[in-house]
Amino acid sequence: MSNENMKFLIVDDFSTMRRIVRNILKEIGFGNAEEAEDGQAALSKLKGGNFNFVVSDINMPNMNGFELLKSIRADDELKGLPVLMVTAEARKEDIVSAAQWGASGYIVKPFTKATLEEKVQKILDKQAK
Amino acid sequence: MSGQALTMKEDDALYVNVGRLTRQLHDALRELGYDRDLESAVGSLPDARSRLSYISRLTGEAAEKVLNGVDETKLELAKLSSGAIEMAAALRKDPVSAVASGKLMCFLGEVGQSASRADAQLTDIMLAQDFHDLTGQVIRKVVALAHSLETQLVQLLIDSTPHDETDRVEATVAPVQAQATAVGAAEGIRTDDLDGPVVSADGRSDVVTDQAQVDNLLESLGF
Repeated sequence: MSNENMKFLIVDDFSTMRRIVRNILKEIGFGNAEEAEDGQAALSKLKGGNFNFVVSDINMPNMNGFELLKSIRADDELKGLPVLMVTAEARKEDIVSAAQWGASGYIVKPFTKATLEEKVQKILDKQAK
Repeated sequence: MSGQALTMKEDDALYVNVGRLTRQLHDALRELGYDRDLESAVGSLPDARSRLSYISRLTGEAAEKVLNGVDETKLELAKLSSGAIEMAAALRKDPVSAVASGKLMCFLGEVGQSASRADAQLTDIMLAQDFHDLTGQVIRKVVALAHSLETQLVQLLIDSTPHDETDRVEATVAPVQAQATAVGAAEGIRTDDLDGPVVSADGRSDVVTDQAQVDNLLESLGF
């Protein structure tokens, strides 16, 4: 699948951060993206939404990113989706937990365009193998 | 000495009375268990102070980044503008020479490079807006602290009010409590155990401070 056709879901409770991630994804060649403001909204979009990649914050109301990650991994339809966490949570135990629950990558905010590009590409390369 | 002034003896008696009342208040608070509540409320103030300092630092840094980016982009645009004026003059004067000497191609190359630099500056300006997310999370924590402090102080006020005054005091504080709850809901105050941005990593070994540390940690665990 070409980068242009890959469908991303950006999950963050701050609209400014969703917009930043969306713009950077567009700059690095992934122009097809939708947004959700928390884990709950993300899950309902993901069901039958034909998404190929999730970029999610962790600290969100209603359903946080950890709960979203666990729900994705527990769902037969969604469990294979790459989930990249992009978050301000910097505790080592949170990073390890995210990895154990099946996160495909972990970026701490504030981040650079190069970091987001590198992590997305690394996950896609790994998936292609 | 003025007739209205307290004598030294009266002065001492006043201080003794104030001291006794303070002691009684302290004992009453301790018996009711409020000394611990107040201690915890006061204990949260340094945390609020350090969070507010973080907000101040981050917003300042973001503003600097944006202003620097704007300065550099404006410089690029000014160079492009004056280059275009010079190029137009050269073309009007001797179009063949302007092309043959390579001036035109050189200018077009500079336009391309300059546009790329301006684009990179605009990306940096966009990324600098991440302060809204980072400070927003910290502001929510400060609002939660203020909310908790206010709740404890209001409860202390209600419980320490004489019975015949309770209705009046409750009626006075009810709108304040309602407003605090509404603000809490609007700010999305939550009591989960997520930390949000690290406002100060000094002396902390349980947190990472940059992406390289995240990558090293995950790599060391085989992820």
